[in-house]
Amino acid sequence: MRYIFNFPDIGEGLEEGTILEWYVTKGQAVKAGQALCNMETDKVVTDIPSPKTGTIVATFGKVGEIAMVGKPLVEIEIEGVFGAEAVAVANEEVKAPLTEPIDEGGAGVVGTMELAGSNALLAASDEGAEKKEVEAKPVKKALATPLARAMARDLNIDINQIKGSGPSGRVTKEDIQNYKPAKTAGSGVQHEPYKQPANADAVTYEPLTQIRKAIAKNMIHSKQSAAHMTLFEEVEISELMRIRDRYKKSYADKNSKLTYLPFIVKATVNALKKHRQLNSQLDMENDRMIFKNYYNIAIAVDTPEGLVVPVIRDADKLSLFEIAQKISELSDKARDRKLTIEDMKDGTFTLTNYGSIGGIFATPVINYPQAGILGIGRLLKKPIVKDDQIVVGNVLSLSLAVDHRIVDGGEASRFINSIMEYLSDPVLMMME
Amino acid sequence: MEYDVLIIGAGPAGYVAAIRAGQVGLKVAVIEKMYVGGMCLNWGCIPTKALLESAKNFKKIKQFEEFGIDGIDADKLSFNWNKAKARSTKITDKLTSGVRYLLKKNGVEIITGTARIAADKSVYVDDQKINAKNIIIATGSKPKGMDESLKNAPIVEIENLFSLESIPENIVVTGNHVSTAEIAQFFRLIDKNVTMVANSAYFMVGLDEHLITYITKKLKSENIDLIINDTPGKFENGELMIADRRIKCDLIVNCNSRKAILPESETPLELTERGFIKTSNNFETNIKGVYAIGDVAGKSFVAHVASAQGIHVINTIKGIESTFDGQIYPINMYTVPEIAQVGMTEQEVKATGFEYKVSEFPLSANGKAMIEGNTEGYIRMLSDIKYGQVLGVQIIAANATDMIAEAAVLMATEGTIYDVAQTIHAHPTVSEIYMEVGFEAIDKAIHK
Repeated sequence: MRYIFNFPDIGEGLEEGTILEWYVTKGQAVKAGQALCNMETDKVVTDIPSPKTGTIVATFGKVGEIAMVGKPLVEIEIEGVFGAEAVAVANEEVKAPLTEPIDEGGAGVVGTMELAGSNALLAASDEGAEKKEVEAKPVKKALATPLARAMARDLNIDINQIKGSGPSGRVTKEDIQNYKPAKTAGSGVQHEPYKQPANADAVTYEPLTQIRKAIAKNMIHSKQSAAHMTLFEEVEISELMRIRDRYKKSYADKNSKLTYLPFIVKATVNALKKHRQLNSQLDMENDRMIFKNYYNIAIAVDTPEGLVVPVIRDADKLSLFEIAQKISELSDKARDRKLTIEDMKDGTFTLTNYGSIGGIFATPVINYPQAGILGIGRLLKKPIVKDDQIVVGNVLSLSLAVDHRIVDGGEASRFINSIMEYLSDPVLMMME
Repeated sequence: MEYDVLIIGAGPAGYVAAIRAGQVGLKVAVIEKMYVGGMCLNWGCIPTKALLESAKNFKKIKQFEEFGIDGIDADKLSFNWNKAKARSTKITDKLTSGVRYLLKKNGVEIITGTARIAADKSVYVDDQKINAKNIIIATGSKPKGMDESLKNAPIVEIENLFSLESIPENIVVTGNHVSTAEIAQFFRLIDKNVTMVANSAYFMVGLDEHLITYITKKLKSENIDLIINDTPGKFENGELMIADRRIKCDLIVNCNSRKAILPESETPLELTERGFIKTSNNFETNIKGVYAIGDVAGKSFVAHVASAQGIHVINTIKGIESTFDGQIYPINMYTVPEIAQVGMTEQEVKATGFEYKVSEFPLSANGKAMIEGNTEGYIRMLSDIKYGQVLGVQIIAANATDMIAEAAVLMATEGTIYDVAQTIHAHPTVSEIYMEVGFEAIDKAIHK
């Protein structure tokens, strides 16, 4: 029989993906679990495994094209399946492959979820975690009254997103009237339609990558949801430099690189412990604060594909050496696009080290729904006043952005003061 | 012994609530003074419509020659009141025994007697004390009494109409509502001299003005003397003296506006200004766990709403999710032709400030109506301009009371003019007028 494999929703309400590479061609034999193609979604880059053993009859979509969830991806000829059995096979609900590894003699292409983009911004949050359960079913068409449909069309509301209060969940006029759309990318923003320039060569068009779409969505979501407030500080870290220089070699001997970042992670964790507002989240729906008693520090990493934000889990329980190792590991994975969703979720506070590239101060965008993000600028030699003498100081610039709904100015200042204290007196940091 | 629910009154509110209670597994009893089925089955909805059917046939048979039937001598036809009454009673008996059967089948105990609610929320029937977690009052209503100045007249309460052995020639029907017009028309159909006396403030209140105008004209065209008068008359020497008129009067039928039949309660029940039991949106009275439904609660005076209220209250007691809108229900008038209305009247639509549209389609352009010889009437649809939501429908047609159900479903499901126009209706049927009026609302009816 012929089996048509539809592109499954591999999680979190996925609608589409971009085909990056086909591993199979027409006429090729495949085994269940064998990778069919490499797909980029707004969350990850992943291989899509074959659900069946058979022969590829057709593949749908070329490299670079967008595949829609629920639409055919490949057609497989399954030998020896006829009649009723064939119907049964055809009717099988395709399980989302990524959460159900098919363990067949090393054919476990599943589970190698690579990181696609910076959607760590979302995945790192609780929002993403809640939706982990994967549904292979397409979005069900809402039951709705004719009037509700007419109103939804008129008001440009997706009626399928509304929970109906009528019989059997029917969406009624009242539901439409009471519907308040969740803040999404672009809500409330008037988009000017792009006007084609007279000279056709003046611009080059490129389709948005899934990564870029996700970044755009998450940035707007954060900016529209949080009340951003940024404050700037400079801290003299000569003492820290001396300590780093002293231990750099011993770290190198152990095949690890000691940068300033592990110290900053440590300082941040210590400060977060004293200022829990910065390690929290606002839960408006339930009128409450969520204070987190764990310290997962997200680190923004620049990659050619875009920004990604892996997480150092339970950073408070790690030694400086372990933090350094973790940072190297995550950076390598990020650059190789090997990060998993597991690597990126549940961050509680974010560090962004733009100073390693350049830039002194910035106004970083909060990794929503976290309460703050600390930007680390370039380390500069600067004249400072020490004992009423102007001397050369080693000055690190810091930019702290907080969600002003959660964190008041005073608390933000106390928090950054605390970090500065640790960075200027690293022994104190290690003592605590 | 304690009941989950004790229902006082076995009319269409009470008995339906009782059946529903039995169905959902509640321990339930219904207390009825006299008539299982209440006014609806015993002297209201069912028997009066049965009499009307006899009268309608009495009139229709005179027109049978038109249909090609010879041999009917109009002069030899006469209306046999007692036979018509017997037929009606037969139907009533069948239905009331059906209700008794359904009550029994669903485990409902029927207690005969008059209920009194004690201060501790127990109920006494005569001397028997009954305890219940919830009490539902469904005791109904009766017409207000006649004015003192008319007390000497030969008055019959609608309840006692069926005890009359014969019908005199000159009948006066007093009352304001659809059922008054039905009764007036019944007597006219059997060739009596009929006067209808109504109050200007309440005459056909709740109906669309277009329908009121139609009814007024219709009654007059049938030589029913319609007197809209606000001062009570006097009765003297077989004549009713009212509004400077002297009208021959052998019988006054009391179809006056209704008043609540209140059960005795040691804890006073809070009442509305009009003397009905005041209830919350879920029909709970001022006493917790005591509900009032149907006429006695004064929110509506039709059987079908009373039944719906009963089901809603039982669902609420049982904890079954239930909502009660109660805004969309048909008002039916079993006249010739029948008149039916559902949803908002034009006056009400105007008051809401909706931008609305009125569309009409006449029966005279409908094939089936011609076939049946019933071309008098029309459908009238009120819809909002923006979305085309159907806000109200009125029908005048031989079977309007059945046809209105389509509009009720349409409106209950928030239907629009597009839905009704795009629904394929069978041909030939009178119901095609729905499709036509839908098209008319969108743009233009096909057959107009």
